[in-house]
Formats: sequence, C-alpha cells, structure tokens
Amino acid sequence: MFLELKQIKKHFGEGNSRVDVLKGIDLNLEKGDFCVLLGPSGSGKSTLLNIVGGIDRASAGSIIIDGQQTEQMNDKQLTLYRRNHLGYVFQMYNLIPNLTVQENIEVGAYLSEKPLPLEDLLKTLGLYEHRKKLPNQLSGGQQQRCAIGRAIVKNPDILLCDEPTGALDYTTSKEILKLIETVNQKYGNTVLMVTHNDAIRLMADRVLRLRDGRIRENIRNTEKITAEELEW
Amino acid sequence: MKKKNPLRKRILREIYGDKGKYLVIFVLMIATISFISGYLVADGSMIAAYNESFEKYHIEDGHFLTEESLEKTARSRIEKEGVTISPLPYVERRAKKDITIRIYAMRETMNRACLMKGAFPKKKGEIAIDRMFADNNHLKVGSRLRIGNRNYYITGLVALSDYSSLFENSNDSMFDAIKFGVGVVDKATFSQLSKDKLTYCYTWSWNRKPKDEKEEKEWSERLMKVVNTQAELTDYVPRFQNQAIRFTGEDLGGDRAMMIVLFYIIMVILAFVFALTTSNTIEKEAGVIGTLKASGFTNRELIGHYLVAPVLVTLISAAIGNLLGYTLLKEVCVAMYYGSYSLPTYVTIWNGEAFVLTTIVPIVMMVVINLLILGRKMRLSPLQFLRREISLKKKKKAVSLTPTLPFFTRFRMRVVLQNRFHYLVLFLGISISYLLLLFGMMLPSILEHYQEQIHTNMFCKYQYLLKMPPSLTGDDFSMDKLVKYMRFSEGVETENKQAEKFSAYTLQTDDADVMKEEILFYGIEPDSRYVKRKLSDKDVYVSSAYADKFRLKPGDTIRLKEKYEDTTYTFKVTGILDYDTGLYVFMTRSHLNEVFDLGSEMFGGYFSNEKLTDLDEKYIGSILDEDALSKICRQLKVSMGELMYLVDGFAMLIFVVMIYLLSKTIIEKNAQSISMAKILGYSGGEIARLYILPTSIMVIGSMVVALPIISIAIKEIWYTMLRQKMKGWLPVCLDGEVYAQMLALGIIAYGLVAALQLRKLKKVPMDLALKNAE
Repeated sequence: MFLELKQIKKHFGEGNSRVDVLKGIDLNLEKGDFCVLLGPSGSGKSTLLNIVGGIDRASAGSIIIDGQQTEQMNDKQLTLYRRNHLGYVFQMYNLIPNLTVQENIEVGAYLSEKPLPLEDLLKTLGLYEHRKKLPNQLSGGQQQRCAIGRAIVKNPDILLCDEPTGALDYTTSKEILKLIETVNQKYGNTVLMVTHNDAIRLMADRVLRLRDGRIRENIRNTEKITAEELEW
Repeated sequence: MKKKNPLRKRILREIYGDKGKYLVIFVLMIATISFISGYLVADGSMIAAYNESFEKYHIEDGHFLTEESLEKTARSRIEKEGVTISPLPYVERRAKKDITIRIYAMRETMNRACLMKGAFPKKKGEIAIDRMFADNNHLKVGSRLRIGNRNYYITGLVALSDYSSLFENSNDSMFDAIKFGVGVVDKATFSQLSKDKLTYCYTWSWNRKPKDEKEEKEWSERLMKVVNTQAELTDYVPRFQNQAIRFTGEDLGGDRAMMIVLFYIIMVILAFVFALTTSNTIEKEAGVIGTLKASGFTNRELIGHYLVAPVLVTLISAAIGNLLGYTLLKEVCVAMYYGSYSLPTYVTIWNGEAFVLTTIVPIVMMVVINLLILGRKMRLSPLQFLRREISLKKKKKAVSLTPTLPFFTRFRMRVVLQNRFHYLVLFLGISISYLLLLFGMMLPSILEHYQEQIHTNMFCKYQYLLKMPPSLTGDDFSMDKLVKYMRFSEGVETENKQAEKFSAYTLQTDDADVMKEEILFYGIEPDSRYVKRKLSDKDVYVSSAYADKFRLKPGDTIRLKEKYEDTTYTFKVTGILDYDTGLYVFMTRSHLNEVFDLGSEMFGGYFSNEKLTDLDEKYIGSILDEDALSKICRQLKVSMGELMYLVDGFAMLIFVVMIYLLSKTIIEKNAQSISMAKILGYSGGEIARLYILPTSIMVIGSMVVALPIISIAIKEIWYTMLRQKMKGWLPVCLDGEVYAQMLALGIIAYGLVAALQLRKLKKVPMDLALKNAE
C-alpha cells in the first residue's frame, strides 16, 4: 500500500468549544491512484488533505506514505517529507508575481534532485508559448496550469489538489482536469483531489465522500470516464 | 553542484518594482554611510597629519618670553639643562577691525611652517599668513593686507606648526581665528619690523625626551628656575600648557564616538524600517509563502530569500557610500576641520576601521534585526500562511470603540491601532531627525543668548588681569628680585578713579568625570561698585555657570587643586551668583588673599568702566572686554556653521524618508481595503480622510510629543558634551522661534510626503480587491 491512513482524528478547541472535524478516517491508496474527496463544506475534506500533506497535524491516528510514518516527524522532517514526496495545488494559484511562468515552475524544480524536463513539461502544460510571461499576463486557467506545473515538476509521489478548479469557469475547469489526468497518467503520481464538484468523481479511480468527519462512501470506480467526457 | 534558488531572480525585479521605496532608502543610507565614512577617514587622516607634524615640522617642547634678548652665555647655561634653545622672536601689529597679527621671520629649524598655498615670502613687503585666519577674513594669495602702517602682499597661505589652534595667549578659554592671526615674512622685512617693539621668544626642545608627562613637568619646572636666573622672564609655556599646540590634538577625534553612535541609531532605525516593509511583503505574499512552505521550502531558504534585498541594498549603499566618503565627503569633512583648525597638509589614510564600521557593522545590524523579525514570522505553519493568519499574537478581541463616535473617527482609530508598531517606529524616526535638526538649529540660538548674557553679565566694561612675571614667583629672595618686584608694584598702580582692585587666583578642578577646568577666583571689595553682591568674609559664591557645569548648590563642598601641584583646597559654597558666561568663584578680597596666602594688600586686577592707560602694558595679562569674551561665539560660529547646515539638511532627509517609507507601508498594507472602499463608492477625498489623515495626525502628534522630549534630551546631551569635552559653559536657551521653525519644517516636509501618498492612493486599482491577493 502506498498511502495508508489509520484512524485519523482531528479536533479544534477544547472543552465546550471543542469541534471534532475528523472522527476516525481509514484510507488506503495505491501508487498512481486518482482519488477524489467529495463532501459538503465543513465535512473535513480540506483538513484531511492538509494532514496528508503534512501542513496540519492529526490529533490522533497515523499516516504511512511509502513506508514512512509522518505523525512523529518534527517540523524539519515534515518539511523534508513535503519536499521529497508532495506537490500542492490550491484554488488560489499563489504564483510569484515577479517571476515568469518558466521561473515559477523552476521554483518547484529547485526542490527536486531529479526534476522533470522543463521544456517537455511546459509543452504538456500548454504553457510553452507563454513561458516568458509574468502571471498577470495570463488567464486564470493558464495561471492554474502554471501552479500545477510548479507542483508536478519535481515529480512528487503524491499530488494534492485543493479545489483546483474552484475559481475557474466550465471550459477552463475541464482543461485543468484534463491536465491533471494527463499528468497522473504520464508521470504516475498519486492524485488526491478535494472538490465540491460531484461530476469529477466519474474520472477518479477512487471516490471518498465525507460528511461530519467520517467517510460515508468509499468506492473504487471501475467504469471511470476521461476528463474530456465529463459534463456538469 | 548546488542548485541556485530560482527565487533569487526576483530580487532585482522586486527592487525595481518598488523603486520609490528602495531609492529613498538608498539615498538615506548612502548619505549616512558616506558622511560617516568621510568623517572617519578625514578624522583619521587629520589626526595622523597632526601627530606627524611634531616631528615633521620640529614643534617646540616649550617656549619662554624674556624682557630682553638672551645673552649667548645665558643661553649656554640654560642649554646645559639638556635643551636646545632657538630664538623665535615676533612682533605684533594691528590690522583693520581690531585684528592682531603676530609676525615671525621665516622659520628654518623649529616650529616650521607648512605651505598650504602660494609661496613663502622672499622679498620685502611680502607675507605668508595663516590659512584659516585668511579664510575667515576673506584674504587670498595675491591680496594686499595693511598691517600697522605698511601694506603687505600675501604670497602664500601657511599653517604654523605651533599654531594649529590660533590661541593668542595660552590662558585664553577659546582661540579667535578671526581677530588673531599669525604670519611669516622674510628676514630682511622682519629685521626692519623688529626695530620697534620686539617680543623675545625662545623655544626649547629636550635633547632627551622626558619619559612621561610627570617627568616633563618636573624638568620644565627645573628649567624655569634656571631660565629665571639668566633672564627676566615674562612668560613661560611648556608644550603641555600650550593651548595653541595641544588644543587641536585634544579636540580632534572628540566627536568620533558621538558620530558613530548617531550612525548606528540611524542604521538601526533603517533596519527596522526594512524589517517592517519586509514584514508587509510577507503579509502580502502570505499565500505564496504558504504554498512554498507546503511544497517543501525550508524556513532557512525563505528567510535567506527575504534577507537578500536589505543586505544587498546595505552592501551597495556601503560600497557607494564609502566611495563617496573617500572622495567627496572626505573633502567636506576635511574642509570642516580646516575651518576649525590651522592644520598642515594631510595625506588620505586608508582607514580599515572606517570600512568595518560603515560596511560590515551596518550589514550585520541589518541581518540581525531582519533575521529576528523574519525568523519570528517564518515560524508560522504553511497552513497559517495559506489562511493568511499571520499575526503572531493570539487572536484578540477588537478594541471597543464607542458607537457614539462618528464612523470616520472610529475607522481612523482602527487604522491607527492596526498600524501602531509602524507609528511607533515613525515616532522614533521623527524624534531622531528632530534631535538632529534641533542640534543643528540650536547653536545660533545658544550663541545669541550667550552673547546677550556676556553683555548683561559684565561687571564692568574692562577687566584688567595683571600678570606677574615668572621671575617674581618662587620663594627665593634676592636684591634683584626685590627691585623687580618694586618695579612691578609701580607698574600695576593706576590713578583712574573708576578702577577698583580685585584679587585673582586660579585653581583647577579635580573631578574625575568632568574635563579639567581652570576656575578663576575673584577676591572683590565687600562694597564693590561692580559686583552687585554683598559678601561677608566667609562667603564663597560660585557663578551660575560653574554651578550648572559641576551641578553645585549652596551647601556643597568644592575641591580644587593647584594646576601643577598636589596642593588642594576645599570650599563650602554659600551661594550662587547669576553669571552664565564664566566659571568663577567670588569671595572678599581679604578672604581670598588670606586663603592663598597672598598678603593682605595683594591684588590681581582691576574692574573699570574706563580704559586704564597708565598701567605698564607688560604687566597686563589680559583685558576682558565684551569683544574678548565674545571669542567663543565668533569661533564656534565660524567652525561649526557649515557642520550645522549639514546636520540640518541631513535631519530633514531622515525626516522625509522615514515619513515617506512608513506612510507608504501603511497604504500598501491597506491597499486591498482601499481598493474595496473605492468599489463601494467612497470618493478619493473620503479615502484620503480614512487613510492619510490618521498618518497626518500621528505625524503631527509625534512632532508635538517629540519636541519637549528631545528638548530635554538635547540639553542633557549638550551639557554632557560640555562637561566632558569643552572648557567653559554655554547654557542652552532655545527660543520659541526654534520650535516654531522645526514644526513648520516638519509640516512642510510631511506636506510633500502626503502629496506623494495621495498620488499613490489614487493609483490603488479597484480590481485589486477582486483579484487574487497576489
């Protein structure tokens, strides 16, 4: 098993103000799985993603990635873990405004010993023509492509995507989903994507539905469709 | 090979993108570093030039004046004491406007002159005069100068090595390079001049140098006794007592510590300003930082990245600053030294310490202060950055503001509360620049007040201080001495009814923490017409200047000592006499004569409202009239005038830069809110009232609050400086006009900044609030 979550719990506050966000999550993912986390607002899906991503800590439970247990890691080890294994894509693109497209992707490449070939990746991202532009010269979709490029260039084991299409229109969202699909297929990364969009489950290998901090549905999709075929 | 962090590529773009901010920081840093570097290089070079001058120009170990020319045999007897005697006679002549010029023949062995410009005189009617005296009196090479009843052609400007400070007499409290000058003429011209009233001056130099100052004093005293047996001494000045030689050396480098402290204060403030602006950038780029941290960037990499800009700016500023310091500013500082002292030519000396102080230390300061603030900020988790929860404090409840206050007032108060740390730095910046500005502006006010005080404090129009020839001192008795004493007694009597005798005696202070100072004791008549204070026989009054300088009050005991002896005296202060312009002790004449065992009839001078024409001039040590007492004012005006303008300009630069940077930071911090306010329909004027007005109120408030604080601080600094480094006392008296001028300057400077910020406010785009925060 590549990613293994055992009884992950998370609460905020104490006493009367205690809120239990995750109430015991168990999850197993294989290398190269495309997993979608669905659920209403406040169901705990982003919190779960952040815990997997090592930017938040679980109150209880354990996470094992490629045989490495993360809950006992200190901040320094967690940073190294993120550096070596994870790529992040957020709803906000968070690109560096005074670096070009190529340079923004180089920021991700810097973190890896063996980054993906830049030119090839730029072409895959459809940004080769725009590589010398600054983020403010790009459309929202192009900026998100750039953000994905920055996350994927270091060829991470797991690509964590938090509502990557949340700020985009239908057409652009589909383009981004196609890109993530391509990346997943081409580079074989495990993808864990949080989304509100129910339709996206159709393109995933694994669909998890969260509600009130628990997994209510955990299905392996046997008849998945391509991003191109998605409609909502 | 270690990979290069691609974030480095944004540093120069970042600097270029915020060129306004970086430009003003550059300007201020370069100005500060270049001035300090220039000052330190000039100071070091000048000190070296001064120290080297002793050997290079063969500066005397002392000199004495005699009534008559020294016989050859007498000279040989004196030289047996282990000295080499060289005659250095001079004549004194009056030039226009009460100017006295002391003229020497060209010096060949001792106290040689350094030619600063032009040529030495070679023909009759030619003269080379002191360079500083020439500058002060607007004389140049080629000018004609009437001295006595002759016209002289100025062939050159010189620095006489034994007159690095133009003290006319070693007893003077301050030199006067406007009304006293020295010059050299060729031998033929001098021999013509010397037919009339020559002063027989002889220098000596020890054949074997004394090992320390104590030995030098012992040898000097022994030598004086021998000279006394060979000639009628009228003055005897070993080098350690010669202010014209020593004063410069004691004063050079004196401002160094203060300059360096000031430099560091400015650098610390700039480092804080940098840290604040970087902190703002971090807030603005919180999402990016969160993403980078989430992707695996370490704190060290990110801190390193945000440290580059301040360090780079400091490094470039230091490089340019040092370059300017060694060239342009060094010249300015050297000119200031040449404006104060008559120093010889100098050679620029590479000053490694100056380089470290103005380059390495500022960089270290910049790194440490920024590291502290960045380190604290970067401790936050990636998630906190992503959620923009970047306040280091725990979430606090909003300060409760009463709803009865108008909305705009509450809004402005929120802006102030949100930016309180910025306003604190702003207050510090304003205080420092006001401190500098006040320092620059107060000197004319102090000197003007001092001048007024001289006028109101004067007991009489003329004070004659008599001078007993050194040959009459000592305990030995001889017939010759008795005759000389009788001659002296006759020569110091006057028929003038205006004259009132007083006794005088000089002692030296002995406080460890205050500069050694000579205190003049006045023994006055109990029913004096001039000193309006009735003194009983046990009264010991001190002048208010003395009381202020040494923090004395009635009932205190003062301890003073003989200047070159270990004999000490203690007195209990019974009162303070309002006299701000001199350090004096007042007692009755009989009391003074008794304390110092001078004999009941002894007196040391006269108070008089008329000139005393029947006194023998050779027994007049000095005449204190308004002009003589104004020396310190004249000299300070000349020597510090340029520096004050420089300080004023520099203070205004700091003032403008601080306000500009901090108000800019506040607007940048609120750019999104300003953008949203525009979208909501607030007019430009209303937004200015919300965001510019609070800064205006804080700036003006800071100025008003800072003024009384710095006024107290500057008095303390000034008095500490006087106590430790200057003889005499210059009380601080600041006119209301000075404060009004400072406020006006501050408001004008802020007006300029506010206009710039209004422009900036207008430029905040409306879509900023709608777009991705980055």
